[in-house]
Amino acid sequence: MDTIGPLLHGFAVALTPGNLLAVLLGTLIGTVIGVLPGLGPTASIALLLPVTIGMDMVPALIMLAGIYYGAMYGGSTTSILVNIPGEAASVVTCMDGYQMARKGRAGPALGMSAFGSFIGGTVSVVAVMLISPFLAEAALKFGPPEMFALLFFAFTCIGGLTGKSRTRGLLMACVGLLLGTIGTDDIQGVDRFVFGTLYLRDGIGLVPLAMGLFGLGEIIYNIEQREETGSVLETPKNLLPTLRDWKDSAWPIARGSVLGFGIGILPGGMPAVASLLSYAVERRVAKRPEEFGHGAIEGVAGPETANNAATAGGFVPLLTLGIPTNSVLALMLAAMMLHGVTPGPLLLLKWPDVFWGVIASMYIGNAMLLVLNLPMIGLFVQILKVPYGILSPLIVMFVLLGAYALNNSVTDVLTTVLFGLVGYLMKRHGLEPAPLVLAFVLGPMLENNLSKALIMSRTGSPLFFFSRPISGTLLACAILVLAFPLIRWGWRRATGRRPAPAGA
Amino acid sequence: MTVDRVLGLGAILLAIPVAAASWGFGVGSPKSPGAGFWPLLIVVAMAGLGLSLLLHPSQAVPSAATQESRWGRLWIALGTMAVYVVTLDPLGFPVATTILLFVQLRWVESRTWRSSAWIAALTPLIAFVLFRVLLKVPLPAGVVPLPRGW
Repeated sequence: MDTIGPLLHGFAVALTPGNLLAVLLGTLIGTVIGVLPGLGPTASIALLLPVTIGMDMVPALIMLAGIYYGAMYGGSTTSILVNIPGEAASVVTCMDGYQMARKGRAGPALGMSAFGSFIGGTVSVVAVMLISPFLAEAALKFGPPEMFALLFFAFTCIGGLTGKSRTRGLLMACVGLLLGTIGTDDIQGVDRFVFGTLYLRDGIGLVPLAMGLFGLGEIIYNIEQREETGSVLETPKNLLPTLRDWKDSAWPIARGSVLGFGIGILPGGMPAVASLLSYAVERRVAKRPEEFGHGAIEGVAGPETANNAATAGGFVPLLTLGIPTNSVLALMLAAMMLHGVTPGPLLLLKWPDVFWGVIASMYIGNAMLLVLNLPMIGLFVQILKVPYGILSPLIVMFVLLGAYALNNSVTDVLTTVLFGLVGYLMKRHGLEPAPLVLAFVLGPMLENNLSKALIMSRTGSPLFFFSRPISGTLLACAILVLAFPLIRWGWRRATGRRPAPAGA
Repeated sequence: MTVDRVLGLGAILLAIPVAAASWGFGVGSPKSPGAGFWPLLIVVAMAGLGLSLLLHPSQAVPSAATQESRWGRLWIALGTMAVYVVTLDPLGFPVATTILLFVQLRWVESRTWRSSAWIAALTPLIAFVLFRVLLKVPLPAGVVPLPRGW
């Protein structure tokens, strides 16, 4: 399949002045959001969704994508300098990045993190570009049974890949599915769980739900649990890593790129999971694992590469199958819908400008981030010096403003505050909001495809799904994922191994 | 009772009325599913997962204890947000947001009177002009008289 021609067309789209400005704005806003603790990419994209409604479709999506991968770049700055992760994917960067900063090596840590992010992001965009057309072509042959099986497989994965307990993750996902049923049923036109209100007939909005759970929930939690952490808030002078740093980081960056992309395309494969796995892998293969946690540059290079690679990788299932693999991409899906674009196999055929324009903008954005971010590190240090006590109420204001602005509805603000409270309680008790939000988005698609597939089967038998090779294979995979704890338990019993203690 | 047990019990208790409501929507049959079919499937799965958590809770991990002095701040923060929801339409964005910011800055974040007043007065105005005039988002003006054309 020819990809060079369409890619050049994509560059022609992305390089127009308006779209270049959208890339620049998106990456800058994303980086600042990543730098600021407490306002993650999910809440930020939700906040900016209403603003993009007035924009043209392509620059709007280019800007939102830029915010997402820009936030991944920015998150490491806060981890390294202040020991607070700017967003979830930078949590592991605190471990070695901050230790490097304490030893006076903040510059190489920030520099290597930026170079790793650039390499991981770019490698991943190349892979997205090469894989997506083939996957989209294959997905064109998918009927409702295949789509249901694929979505069900995605659903089983999100429970397992987030948080510490699979059962809790799946339960949260079920709550998300149930919330997704609120409103008028698409097929029969029956009102479900609306309690006589007009507001609920359209269902709960994704934006108030996501902004409440992720944005307000985090802020309220931080009001309650503020920890004083150390910080190394001086503008680092030399940002360029030494030859030795490059030698130590080359393989972690290579492994991080592959691992990050692989995790990114999986359902539930959030950048945070990719960075955590990369850290675990690097520690395991390191010649001097005892240096991890004390300022090993491999512990910065690998995870920072992996989270950017995963960010780009997540665009494969979103653009080709219409399946978001994490909550940020769920909002990207909502943004595309708002602009009348339906992500999925037909995106490449119907809206090639969107597909190739966004892909090309990601190349440009990654390069822009590298060129702009290193010289702007002084500015980010100044932003970080603004006390959190001032930032926190301002973030609350922007979250509530964003909630109102989407539909000019006070009820949306109320919904956001209520989900903020739920998000706070979930965070306080160690429950992950991501499975809930993802299942909320996947739920209506799951129901729609299940109903159509059952009607297609004429008998209503679940065996119908196994009579078709693709849906049968995908459902078998989903059953394996669900049964994995049982298989592991049986294996341990058979081999006489004791289970590892919780938390180990 | 551990968090897992509370969750498990909550899931089972929620499943009962939701299952009853789903039945009311019309479950249909597998070859012709009704509007209640899907919610019923979800609550059956929910009840199963809830039972599993109830019977096999993971080891209790104590949730982070709240510092005594921060409880008050938490309630003030939540209270101001609730007041904001009620006052946003009648008072308008600039005034309601000024109140929200001032209370949060002064009493939740313990900023000085002077800095709280400055930030609370200026930020909503800037945001209002930016969003209402430049980005054409129709934020409510409420009690603030607007220049013609805004």
